[in-house]
Amino acid sequence: MNERIHPLVLQATDKLRQGRITRREFLRYATLLGVSVGTAYALSACAPAAAPTAPTAGEAAPAAGAAPGAIVRGGVLRKGMLVQQVDHPARLSWIEGANAVRLVNEYLTVTGPDNITRPYLLERWEASDDVQTWTLYLRKGIKFNNGDDLTADDVLFSFSQWLDPAVGSSMLGLLSYLDGMDSVEKVDDYTIRLHLTSPNIGVPEHLFHYPAVILHRDFQGDWVKQPVGTGAFTLVEYLEGERAAFKARPDYWRMGEDGRPLPYLDEIVFVNLDKDASVAAMQSGQIDTFFKPRPSDFLALKDNPELQVKSVATANCFLVRMRVDMEPWNDNRVRTALKKCQDRQKILDFSYNGEGILSIDAHFSPVHPAYAERPIPPYDPEGARALLEEYAAEKGIQLPLKVTLATKNDLSEPEIAQTLKELAAPAGFDITLDITEPNGYWDRWTEVPLGITIWAHRPLDTMVPPLAYTADADGNPVPWNETRWVDPEFVEKLRKAELTLDVEARREIIGELEDIMQERGPIGNSYWTNEWEIIRKEFQNVVAHPSNFDFYYEVWKQA
Amino acid sequence: MARFLVRNLFSMFVTMFLVSLVLFFLLEVAGGDVTVRLLGVFATPEQRESLRRQLGLDAPAWQRYADWLIGSDWRAQQLSPYPLTTAPNPQTGEQEWWAEVDGALTRWRMVEGELLAIQRTPDGREVTSPASVTWTTDETGAEVFWGVDTRNNLVKWVRGSDLEVLVLSKAGVRSERGGPQQYIPLRKGIVRGDAGMSLQTNRPVSATIFSRAANSLILAAAAFVLVMPLALFFGVLAGVNEGKPLDRIISITGLGFTATPEFVVGVFLILIFGIWLRWLPATAVFLTGDAIFRDPKILVLPVLTLMAAEFGYVARITRASMVEVMQSPYIRTAFIKGLPRRRIIFRHALRNALMAPITVVMLQINWLIGGVIVVEVLFGIPGLGSYIYDAAIFGDFNAVAAAAMLTVLIAVLTRLIGDMLYTYLNPRIRFA
Repeated sequence: MNERIHPLVLQATDKLRQGRITRREFLRYATLLGVSVGTAYALSACAPAAAPTAPTAGEAAPAAGAAPGAIVRGGVLRKGMLVQQVDHPARLSWIEGANAVRLVNEYLTVTGPDNITRPYLLERWEASDDVQTWTLYLRKGIKFNNGDDLTADDVLFSFSQWLDPAVGSSMLGLLSYLDGMDSVEKVDDYTIRLHLTSPNIGVPEHLFHYPAVILHRDFQGDWVKQPVGTGAFTLVEYLEGERAAFKARPDYWRMGEDGRPLPYLDEIVFVNLDKDASVAAMQSGQIDTFFKPRPSDFLALKDNPELQVKSVATANCFLVRMRVDMEPWNDNRVRTALKKCQDRQKILDFSYNGEGILSIDAHFSPVHPAYAERPIPPYDPEGARALLEEYAAEKGIQLPLKVTLATKNDLSEPEIAQTLKELAAPAGFDITLDITEPNGYWDRWTEVPLGITIWAHRPLDTMVPPLAYTADADGNPVPWNETRWVDPEFVEKLRKAELTLDVEARREIIGELEDIMQERGPIGNSYWTNEWEIIRKEFQNVVAHPSNFDFYYEVWKQA
Repeated sequence: MARFLVRNLFSMFVTMFLVSLVLFFLLEVAGGDVTVRLLGVFATPEQRESLRRQLGLDAPAWQRYADWLIGSDWRAQQLSPYPLTTAPNPQTGEQEWWAEVDGALTRWRMVEGELLAIQRTPDGREVTSPASVTWTTDETGAEVFWGVDTRNNLVKWVRGSDLEVLVLSKAGVRSERGGPQQYIPLRKGIVRGDAGMSLQTNRPVSATIFSRAANSLILAAAAFVLVMPLALFFGVLAGVNEGKPLDRIISITGLGFTATPEFVVGVFLILIFGIWLRWLPATAVFLTGDAIFRDPKILVLPVLTLMAAEFGYVARITRASMVEVMQSPYIRTAFIKGLPRRRIIFRHALRNALMAPITVVMLQINWLIGGVIVVEVLFGIPGLGSYIYDAAIFGDFNAVAAAAMLTVLIAVLTRLIGDMLYTYLNPRIRFA
């Protein structure tokens, strides 16, 4: 074992030995700090309380073990998914678009379906003891599909795009600990060093944020015209609103189990179908899988003998979010009253067929490592009414309090809105529903006073809150802060959590953050959803990812 | 006949002109702010304003209408010191605007206050060098130059201006000192076959619209060719058997189909033939652009759905018309004269009875092409209806306008064909 092991990893090993953290948590932190997965498993194996058998460490996402020689090459995977306009990958703000781009371009790291982050285009990374300097070692011998070698220049170019405010990448907010390109140093052709202005443990996970694909140094800004990447597929055609076709590239750098370059599939085609057409096409065998099945689609397809369903718990949620800079939501009593109106089990049953786990009113999920257990608040219309009456008396207004709840006619939002409307009526809320088609809501999602917004899963507990509940250096809420809620105590503790590697210390801070959000936060959150990957049985090595990211390089099709 | 045709063609152009005016007015009034779509909700008002300028949206409405209709190159030419021309892009084949400087295709861009000339060499490469252009002094004393930029605009560059402008580059919006101050998006106008750029796809509208229209046309033509003879035949059959069981069966079946909305018929067809029996593809999945020809089976259910909607309507009109004609005095006379029934129906009744259905049939063509959005969405067909819908939702005015003009053209042409059929069926119109 000649690799340098971060002292915090050794500390964590002790904790694992003492049984104070689980093996999974240990693996996450060890790999987060640059220990290769293999070494991490070896270290964890020193602990007596380890799981029965350590699975073999793979370089990439663990694949369901197929008997050697069983793998068949060739075949087409047909997927129903919206084919959206894509221009600059750094500006990607949809997972559908990212799923198309990821076939051609790749990330420095990869967070697998097991929520563990591994190096990908990187060979490894190293964090300084104060977690403020990160050294990224790029893997050698990787070629772009135009024949150029992948070098530090490409990585630097990609960073420059993410950090350029003019590009408008959501990476900019995520990498707030970098002070422009001054913080990104090219050590040599295959080594990049990041000098963080404040320590952060989430760097490897941030590098797998979906706009963070590595671009070629000559990239001009339009991916459809210039689909140059290191990925296993090349773009054949991309017709927005119709379809996108990709074909395997013969000289990809990763090898399959048969010793030849991945991918196993020849071709992947995305067909622009809405969900209903997708379900029908699945049932009649015209497509093999489709993007992000809704709960109703899951119910319709789960017993189909030709299909397999992979399910995974996530940190996806539908937030009932309130603008704290607008009447009446600037008053915490009104916010608390609405939160008390959630009968979480009922909302989960009505809107998601019970396929999820109940949540507290905080943006931290039980799938996150440092989640602190808190009791699920009960449905309390009387308590809510008392608060509202107090508020109404002070303002000299009559109950019911008329409010408008805006959301989109999409996955489960209409059902949540409808259920909440009924549940909140006895408390004195008169909710008018303003439900538009999805684009109509995305046009104004940060602007409406009260809305239901879907928030996607992120692997680490400290990843979403900085995007959604903080302000920039000038004190203006960050772009995705749809509620404008910036609580000094919350932000301060959040910054502390972002530096705290020790899972137990961290859990304590996260617990405090959860309490602050529950007490005076801007969101109601009834549950965390399950996600499914529903695909034809011929396809092997399929994994469901909590972010609905496609991992198709190692998927193969039974003849 | 020639006079009839000329008159009709003339009225066709007038109709299209009026429709284009109304359309432009409607888009003007109802269109949302497309810059929000393009730049995202986090864009600042200055960024949006800058993009509006670059899209030429800051020009007065009449000017934009004129540009859209007859093009902007003629007015741009008066400002440009060099002749403007178009040339296809060697990679995509899309037409691009260039200025001809001493026979070489040239465009300009400004980087950090320096104007660079991009010249295309005869072998299709592009060579960038510092520009040597003549700057002229305008009324405010600033040094200006009008040239073509890389996004098909005629741009007024101002040298040494310290006014900061936001420029939409391929990589986003960046601010620049000096540089472009005014934009005229170059286009030839719809009457010269240039529908402009689609904001949604960032490609010329014409690159997408024709394949979409072709899909719709094939779908519509298949449905039309199959259902119209059937509907006319059964309509006539019902009409001549008025009140008999055969008439009742045809009428009630037709009414039933027509009264059931397409999405209901479509869903049942999908369930029965696509999912339970699995005889036919449940949806029209276009894995390739020519999927219709590779696998015509995908069209069966959509066509059946359209046929169900059309059949009853046309059959009932035909039946009513037939019944009316069969009761008219001249038919009675023919019967009294002792002519054979077959001859009365085919020689005397049918021609007159077809007048009303022809009108309906011709109107249906238009509906079949532009209005079948329900069927297109249900079966996932990338057709013209869903194209218009998506473009309208996005606020992609060039695409909406072009697609609408295309459907108007089809409507007007089918009316013309309908009128010609009339004159064939009824000579009185010819001489009126």
